[in-house]
Amino acid sequence: MSDPCERSAEERGEAETRPDGGHPDATAAVGALDGESEVDATESESTATVDAAETATSGGAREALRHVFVVAVTEYRLAVRSRWALALTGLFVVFGGTVLTFSGSAVGPAGAERVVASLTSLAAYLVPLAALALGYDAIVGREDEGWLAVVFSLPVRRSEVVAGTYLGRLAVLAGATLLGFGFSGALIVREFGTGSLSAFLGFLGGTLAVGAAFLAVALLLSTVAREKTHALGAALLAWVWFVLVHDLLALGIVAAAEPSDAALSALVLSNPVSAFRVFVLSGLGTTAGGGFTAVLAGSGLSTVSLAAALGAWCVVPVAVAARLVRRRRL
Amino acid sequence: MRIDATDVRKTYGDVTALDGLSLSVPSGSTFGIIGTNGAGKSTLFRLLVGHDRPDAGTVSVGGTDVTEDGRRVRRRVGYLPEHVGFPDGLTGREALGVHRAIRGLPKDERIAEAIERVGLTADEADRRVSGYSNGMQRRLGLATVLLPDPDVLVLDEPTAGLDPRGVDEFHAIVEDITAETDATVVFCSHVLPEVERLCDRAAVLHDGRVRAAGPVDELAAGADAGDPETGHGETASRSGRGRGDLRAAFRRAIGDDAARGARTDTEEVAP
Repeated sequence: MSDPCERSAEERGEAETRPDGGHPDATAAVGALDGESEVDATESESTATVDAAETATSGGAREALRHVFVVAVTEYRLAVRSRWALALTGLFVVFGGTVLTFSGSAVGPAGAERVVASLTSLAAYLVPLAALALGYDAIVGREDEGWLAVVFSLPVRRSEVVAGTYLGRLAVLAGATLLGFGFSGALIVREFGTGSLSAFLGFLGGTLAVGAAFLAVALLLSTVAREKTHALGAALLAWVWFVLVHDLLALGIVAAAEPSDAALSALVLSNPVSAFRVFVLSGLGTTAGGGFTAVLAGSGLSTVSLAAALGAWCVVPVAVAARLVRRRRL
Repeated sequence: MRIDATDVRKTYGDVTALDGLSLSVPSGSTFGIIGTNGAGKSTLFRLLVGHDRPDAGTVSVGGTDVTEDGRRVRRRVGYLPEHVGFPDGLTGREALGVHRAIRGLPKDERIAEAIERVGLTADEADRRVSGYSNGMQRRLGLATVLLPDPDVLVLDEPTAGLDPRGVDEFHAIVEDITAETDATVVFCSHVLPEVERLCDRAAVLHDGRVRAAGPVDELAAGADAGDPETGHGETASRSGRGRGDLRAAFRRAIGDDAARGARTDTEEVAP
């Protein structure tokens, strides 16, 4: 069962612009009333209709953006106040610093690249877990609180709430990633000079992307789950699958069947962690330390296709969640 | 603003929540919906605000079909769910600010007005919701409903969990609203005296159907108020409502056997 208001508004492309919560009977004319557009009375009726429709559409888009922004800011504020931002930043600082201090691949490249490779291995485990922990209660948790029913009772599309929730929490995760691993980056630059910056920035971009991808997965699980504990369990299973099991299975397939390059690519792209590893490590000129990643050099995946895959892992789960949330019964 | 539900059916799996329900709520009335647990009250309210859509039939608010244009309806409706809640990290004022911003309301003064209207102090409004009692959360919920000066208020068991003082204050708020505005107020309750006190009209729901509907005084007097389409006449007014035995009317409407099964609901709340 779909949310009727969203179905009608989104599928019919209808946009309402009445901003004051009052009587929205003259929908198409609101833009003009707001001074956003004026329809010349001497123009033909059809032109006026088109203008009014365009005004209404742009007003509707602005309204939708405002809704998304309000929800995102609220989510960001809540995450900051609940110490999520601080906790994640601290986590990334501590683990990044630890890796910088104690580790380094013996078979990888030397210098800064070696450190970045080690950070990549760390991030492949840590960032997905952090993103899943941050996002698993995004929808089901708000429903438990009673807040979701309150927000859905407002003149807002459910998909806008989902998008805002994702973006707000993404801002927290991105901020923590930039600050937390930025600390490691500062140490790398201090140790190895600015020449090491490009390798680190590639790592940072990949880390942001894989975090965003797992946050999107968490949001989807949170939308599907009926209870918070179910969402948490599903999130943990997702982490085990993507971070631990998938690589092992893929490695077994590669060893047993010698799959084609296309199949190999599919195996990489079907896991954001693998795509992240290949994305970052191929930029360093190595796949050492990447487990399954080590056998992927011949898969022929370009940086662009890897980035696109990570982008898809961010967008598709959110889009599916935005669709499924309409069916959610409060 | 008038509310109409026509031959509405809604099932969840094997459970029939609404079974051909028809009901009309006249514009400007204060309408109480009473029924046992599982009668379909909350389902009806979810349909009214577009949280759900009927399997069959239509629900309209002010002439707008909720299924066709739920967002437009929600602009004009303030809805207080049965289980209202707010994120612990927000203050009451901030929660209202989210509502104001999403609704696109222009002035922050409306937040102060809404806070005052529901009897929260400025200090309370600036505290985190995590420190609120259940009663304060209900008040805050009511403030979010009142914020846009809605044409229709839909309140799902608004006094559930409130202490007697909170109930009294809620009654006073609703009486103020009905006295000062033309808003249509619809709420469901297990508390029959509450319906008698606040409502000029009422409907009895049972097994997903309207078993009786009409002016409260006529229901209480035992009139055959079985025509939910018309709301049974236009004679009752807020000032002139009767004070008959609504409990007897309720039992008559749902049948003696069902009434015995619903004993807890009615006895619990009817002093």
